[in-house]
Amino acid sequence: MSRHLLRSLALANFIALAFTSHALAHCFVGARFLPATLATDDPCVADEMSMPTVTRVKTPDMPPAVEWDISGDFSKRITENFGVTISQTWTHIRQPDGTLTTGFQNLGTAFQFQVMKDRSHEFALLTGLNVDWGHTGSTGSGLADTFSRITPTISFGKGFGDLPDSFSWIRAFAVTGQAGYQIPTNSFDFTQNVFIPQQLVYGASLQYSMPYLKSEVIDLQLPEFFNHLIPIIEASFTTPVANNFGNPYTTTGTINPGVIWVGNYFQVALEAVIPINRESGSGVGVLGQLHLYLDDMFPTTVGRPLFGGTSTPPRKLTF
Amino acid sequence: MRMLNFAISALLAVMASTAAEAHAFLDHAEPRVGSTVPTAPREVILFYSQNLESAFSSIEVSDGNGARVDLGKPRINAGVMRVGLKPLPPGTYKVRWQVLSVDTHTTEGSFSFHVGK
Repeated sequence: MSRHLLRSLALANFIALAFTSHALAHCFVGARFLPATLATDDPCVADEMSMPTVTRVKTPDMPPAVEWDISGDFSKRITENFGVTISQTWTHIRQPDGTLTTGFQNLGTAFQFQVMKDRSHEFALLTGLNVDWGHTGSTGSGLADTFSRITPTISFGKGFGDLPDSFSWIRAFAVTGQAGYQIPTNSFDFTQNVFIPQQLVYGASLQYSMPYLKSEVIDLQLPEFFNHLIPIIEASFTTPVANNFGNPYTTTGTINPGVIWVGNYFQVALEAVIPINRESGSGVGVLGQLHLYLDDMFPTTVGRPLFGGTSTPPRKLTF
Repeated sequence: MRMLNFAISALLAVMASTAAEAHAFLDHAEPRVGSTVPTAPREVILFYSQNLESAFSSIEVSDGNGARVDLGKPRINAGVMRVGLKPLPPGTYKVRWQVLSVDTHTTEGSFSFHVGK
């Protein structure tokens, strides 16, 4: 297997882990709506589907290969606070000499529990266990590992709407973040003769909600299109931290500036993918996603938890 | 291409068939969110993106000291909720609302408006 292909596959694996193997739930916390983020996870369980997420990047090789990833994921609440996500990615890598590598990456799953939602402080906390199952993808082409990767993860989201009114437009900002410790089920890859490191997988987003600005802070009477936008910057990183003998402990990752358009039933997102260093890719890639809110589209069927009824039982409201 | 057309058509059909079922977002308000009005309004009107369940939707308007200045029970018609106001002196007022859309999703929010120059 060529060194170019190995690097391409490593990048493909990073992208798969970063962009597709986690639940991408949309999320209400008090007056705050946190959209589904693309490169990182957001801090809620929900019923939703991303179909498709399309990524185009260039690998770190010189000259670089062009990689396309097309993925989908489906998230389902089992109970009000517990949900499961299944995700799959198809990868297409074209080397400069025309050589093609295509196939599926390993099946990804995420089991997530909503620890808390503090409505008044627009704060949400989520824990999860992400598992990429070995031998479920195209192991023959090298796109999928023969071993599994298990990643306990914690995610949070915080809106700044609880700041005093004097902070005005700043209150429309929100941040999300996540951190996970990825543990491979094998410690050594005998086919490539390398150690398989344990890795810290982490990321964050800074987002500015135009819907929040309009409904909570000030209605600037902008054209309706702009009132649905959430400009966002995401960052996603992976750092080897253990069992990486003989290899550099280099952090790889991307910074993704972009924008999300939020509708009643779906959102559309487009982000640039900017590698943070040479090991993370070549040039600027692009990432796009169509994300469906199943709980809004099908509130009485697939859009509700399997057990425990609706997420928000009617109640007499008091302030 | 035929598959793409089919997928888009199916998606649009699904969305059209569920057009009355989603979270109710505040579309706009009178007085406008964050606005300053020269004369005191006689009521606050909230316009939502979805129809509301009147029995489980409410609104409260309070002055800078936290005292209620609304006249109590709101009137709700489809996706519009309104509540009368007591005579308001110049000042800053806080509107807090919580609504249940017809498909049982709750949403909530708050905003301020100002009376006076």
